[in-house]
Amino acid sequence: MNELCADVGYKSINHHGELLCGDHVDVVEQGESSSVIVLADGLGSGVKASILSTLTSKIISTMMAQGMSLEDCVETIAATLPICSIRGLAYSTFTIIHLVNNWQAELIQFDNPPVIFIRNGKSLDYSMTEMNIDGKRIYKSVIYLQENDLFVAMSDGCPHAGMGGIYNFGWKREEIASFMEEKSGMGYTAKALSALLVDECNKLYGGKPGDDATACVIRIRRRVPMSILFGPPASRDDNDRMLSLFFSKAGKHIICGGTTSTIVSNYLGKPLRPSLDFVESDIPPIAELEGVDLATEGVITLSRVLEYARDYLQDDLLYDKWSVGRDGASLICRMLFEEATDINFFAGKANNPAHQDKALNFAIKMNLVEELADCLKKMGKRIKVSYF
Amino acid sequence: MKISVCIGSSCHIKGSHQVVDGLRTLIAQYHVSDQVELAGNFCLGSCQLGVCVTIGEKVYSVSPETVEEFFKTEVLSQLNQ
Repeated sequence: MNELCADVGYKSINHHGELLCGDHVDVVEQGESSSVIVLADGLGSGVKASILSTLTSKIISTMMAQGMSLEDCVETIAATLPICSIRGLAYSTFTIIHLVNNWQAELIQFDNPPVIFIRNGKSLDYSMTEMNIDGKRIYKSVIYLQENDLFVAMSDGCPHAGMGGIYNFGWKREEIASFMEEKSGMGYTAKALSALLVDECNKLYGGKPGDDATACVIRIRRRVPMSILFGPPASRDDNDRMLSLFFSKAGKHIICGGTTSTIVSNYLGKPLRPSLDFVESDIPPIAELEGVDLATEGVITLSRVLEYARDYLQDDLLYDKWSVGRDGASLICRMLFEEATDINFFAGKANNPAHQDKALNFAIKMNLVEELADCLKKMGKRIKVSYF
Repeated sequence: MKISVCIGSSCHIKGSHQVVDGLRTLIAQYHVSDQVELAGNFCLGSCQLGVCVTIGEKVYSVSPETVEEFFKTEVLSQLNQ
């Protein structure tokens, strides 16, 4: 295993007036460091297209992850997909990106716009081998990965954006590539990058997309470990054990909780300087403590982080708040959601006798850790939780 | 004189933000900013006392409603001594 990992993010917009998207992205992890990502675009739009693309992406990703051959996958799809009564076809285009040991990417492409590959801020051409499976022309390429490589897979709704409106022939692939080149070096996550691309398509469509449009971005990055400490241990005798383990971890260290910060401050022998700067009026201020990267209040701050995490996984409406905010919750969000790839949670089970009211009680505190860990897992991070 | 206001979870819910704002306004109003330093503090272990405010070693219980009274009886009187 190397130090690389993949950050995968995608976003779709629906054909104007449709409730369902005819494109579908499926990501299946294959062990620790391999994964299969499939973007499928079903024929037409609406419910029919949605069924076709969902079946296609699910079948391919599951079968590939189990190590079946591409030929088997394609045959299975052909045998399974329902045939459209109007067109007499069972058809869904697909792009497969198979990341093997975070070392090489295998691209398998069938009729979707070719994947854009950006290395060092420049879009590069790569060689493709044509294969004929069941009369379908499928292209295969292999690329050896480097840090900061970017793959952009799209459905044809992206290059068709603006067709007949702003552009005569839509948004050309080369233009999309240079749009993404510009954005590639700016530290955006894969999810943010896919949203930037799809939102731009939506703009070109004048807010009324003539087709489903989907972008799936894969960003190859170095693993970034991070540790977060929340709450004092149930027994005082465990303070030193918990903290020596915590500080032995590589990467940045975040501390949540007033009492916890005080304990850490004593452990490190460094003064704790809470600020009185209420940047966000309902989030308590952060503190300065030499030796840790961030010290914040506990329950209220983390509750907000959880709220942002849930939103990030669903509607992504609050991004504008936490991506720039200077309050403790926003700072934690940026570190955990954007920067970290491997997160160690150190959760102390001490019960603060003063925190008996509804907003702060012990059960809520323990739930917070579990739910936040769950959200972070869904963001594709590796999480380890230890209780003390 | 150094006044520390607890900004821990419990005191936060009981209104430490308003207490800090109140103290800032009063300090400006009475022109004592050169004599009083306002700081933050994490949990002092007396969460039951509401918003914990300390002057020196002594812990006072202050709420957004009583901040003006606290300022007059404790802060101003000690400054005038």
